[in-house]
Amino acid sequence: MTFSQQKRMSYYLLLAPGLLLFASIIIFPVAYSLSLSFTSFGGYGKPAFIGLENYVKILGDEVFLHSLRNNLLIVAVSVFGQIPLGFLLAFLLHRKMVRNGNFYQTMIFLPITISPVVVALLWNQIFSSSGMVVAIIRNLTDQPQYVMKIFENRQMAIYPILFVLLWMHTGTYMIIFFANLQKMTPSLLEAAQIDGASESQMLRRIILPGMVGTIATTAIFAISGSLKAFDLIYSMTGGGPAHFTEVIAIYMYINTFKYYKYGFGSAASMIIVLLAVGLILILQYVSRKFERRFE
Amino acid sequence: MNMKRLFSIVFISLFLVPVLLFAAGTKEQAKDTGDGVTTLSVYHFLDQTDKTTAPNFQYLVDVFEKANPTIKLTFEYGYGEAFHDKLQTMAMSGQLPDIVLLYPGERTSQVTNAGLVQDLRPYLAGHENEFADMAMQGQGKNGEIWELPEDISITSIMFTNNRLLKQLGLTLPKTYEELLAQGPKIRAAGLIPISIANKDAWPMQSCVAGMLVERACGLEWFDKAIAGEARFDDAEFVYAMEIIKELTDKQMFSPGTNQLAYGQGLDDFVQEKAVYFIDGGWTVNNMVGELTAEQKEYMSLESFPDIPRQKGKSLSTSATAGQGFGMNAKLTKAESEAAWKWIWFYSGPEGSAIRQKFGRLPAYNLDEPKDADPMIQKLVAYAGKVPMGYVMDSVLAAEPIGTFNINLQNMMFGTKTPKQISQELEAMVTAIGR
Repeated sequence: MTFSQQKRMSYYLLLAPGLLLFASIIIFPVAYSLSLSFTSFGGYGKPAFIGLENYVKILGDEVFLHSLRNNLLIVAVSVFGQIPLGFLLAFLLHRKMVRNGNFYQTMIFLPITISPVVVALLWNQIFSSSGMVVAIIRNLTDQPQYVMKIFENRQMAIYPILFVLLWMHTGTYMIIFFANLQKMTPSLLEAAQIDGASESQMLRRIILPGMVGTIATTAIFAISGSLKAFDLIYSMTGGGPAHFTEVIAIYMYINTFKYYKYGFGSAASMIIVLLAVGLILILQYVSRKFERRFE
Repeated sequence: MNMKRLFSIVFISLFLVPVLLFAAGTKEQAKDTGDGVTTLSVYHFLDQTDKTTAPNFQYLVDVFEKANPTIKLTFEYGYGEAFHDKLQTMAMSGQLPDIVLLYPGERTSQVTNAGLVQDLRPYLAGHENEFADMAMQGQGKNGEIWELPEDISITSIMFTNNRLLKQLGLTLPKTYEELLAQGPKIRAAGLIPISIANKDAWPMQSCVAGMLVERACGLEWFDKAIAGEARFDDAEFVYAMEIIKELTDKQMFSPGTNQLAYGQGLDDFVQEKAVYFIDGGWTVNNMVGELTAEQKEYMSLESFPDIPRQKGKSLSTSATAGQGFGMNAKLTKAESEAAWKWIWFYSGPEGSAIRQKFGRLPAYNLDEPKDADPMIQKLVAYAGKVPMGYVMDSVLAAEPIGTFNINLQNMMFGTKTPKQISQELEAMVTAIGR
């Protein structure tokens, strides 16, 4: 065996355990799920092949389409809300534009350290008909029957959840951007300051172009995380009332585990994968354009 | 072989060992430990943080184990949807415990329809008449009994706070119109007319709709609808849905009922914020611990008043045989006998007497308890006098009833009409099968 062959063999051997684990935990379930999605498997017995019937039913189901709409709103809040807000907060902290920066950094990051189920319970205490805000409003307005109607509106019910998601996840992106801002060469910004550049000019001409790669990476995290959003929403509302706050992951869960439609649920999960891949490809195309522009 | 190569091989081998050990799994605990003790695994539905039901169940286990020193039970508990999720996983992976709590109807069908549990009829032979008729109805296609019901679940009781009624100058309504007429006066006093928490969507169907369907349509129609000889979009069924819609529009239910988590309905009633509370008989178990002795004097169990054009029986309720334990089909003869001992203890005369004291309505026929809690005595008395219809989720498949539950919420929000939700139910039941 030549030296380069030996090297290659060592690489394969060292990668083997990791790849084996990856294949068994990621590749195999995805492949199995894909194969199940073409069947009418109900949890027992032999799966019966039905072709694309599950996909056709899902794409024609108004509950799925509403769930998709909710998911896209979550993606929008993540990409256009959490990331810009996280970046802005990181910039303010990095440029020391606020006093007691360490305190604010901790407070902004704190929500992400709390379990989503606990966060859901906390916010339910605020939003729910038996919660704090409603109790205060009932007392102040002397209306014992008052309820927050937003949760009973099909189009608006998701918005309180979007707010909670914004509150909970902005800290993650703030920390990522803060770490990357600290890696930037300080002399570059000092030179710009000496040349008379303002904060906004430094932000637009130096910092943002340098952060394009990081922004693209965080956007990929945001998209994939948003499309599989489940725990917080399920704990807060269960996807209800009446499917108003349902997302695709909950739609998949209900059809699989409550209605025992494993094939149907697998098809829904494949749609999540396809959506994620599609959106990430679009994002990569856009970010490559920006990177070329700033090079 | 040079040192570098040797080091690489040793390093990789050490890395692979834990992976292989993990993949090998763990050895299954021996059922018979050799000293004559049979160990059986049990999977049970229980909220271990509930300060009433958890200690009550442990008491039962302690009594059983004391009387059966040769049988050791190891319990695993689940609650809510997590229980059903894990049960499905265990069933599909072939790791079903020896004894498992099962539900009537479709709820645990992935276990019962897959031949994973034993038919209990041979064990029950000669004891059938000791149970309520409803509990001995066949659960499988050929009349099998997969689980021995522990309770008869009455799912629609209108708990009444007679002290508040008297305070407001009202009496128990004899008709639906009287009930509606009470609404404005109750709300003006800052109280809730009928407390019910429907965030999970099933309470309105289980505790209200089934009862109203029996009233509006009659049991004969219900039997025909299940058999496919009547339709769920027939006028009488739509009428039952219209009553729920009217109750909603006239603000008879808890404000924001579709946002209230299950449990809030009972809380509001116990805190005397509501005059009436609609829920199932299982809630008496909680009331035993939650209500004061004084409250138990003036709280009563009543039926929803009769509705106009009623075809069903007067003051009828809805009921079903409850859940119970079943045993794994793979058990040996000795293990099956040990498992049956637990199942018979729990749902038979001994366990039923204990559970009756705790506030349950056992499926096993028992005499009226004389020294039981007042609320339990009221439950037993109520169960003995009311005619019973079906609970919809015990006679319809999971998907149609799940969709119907959500559609009830849609109807209450005004996004669908009673006729639409009835038509959708009929379409779904026809497509999937009754």
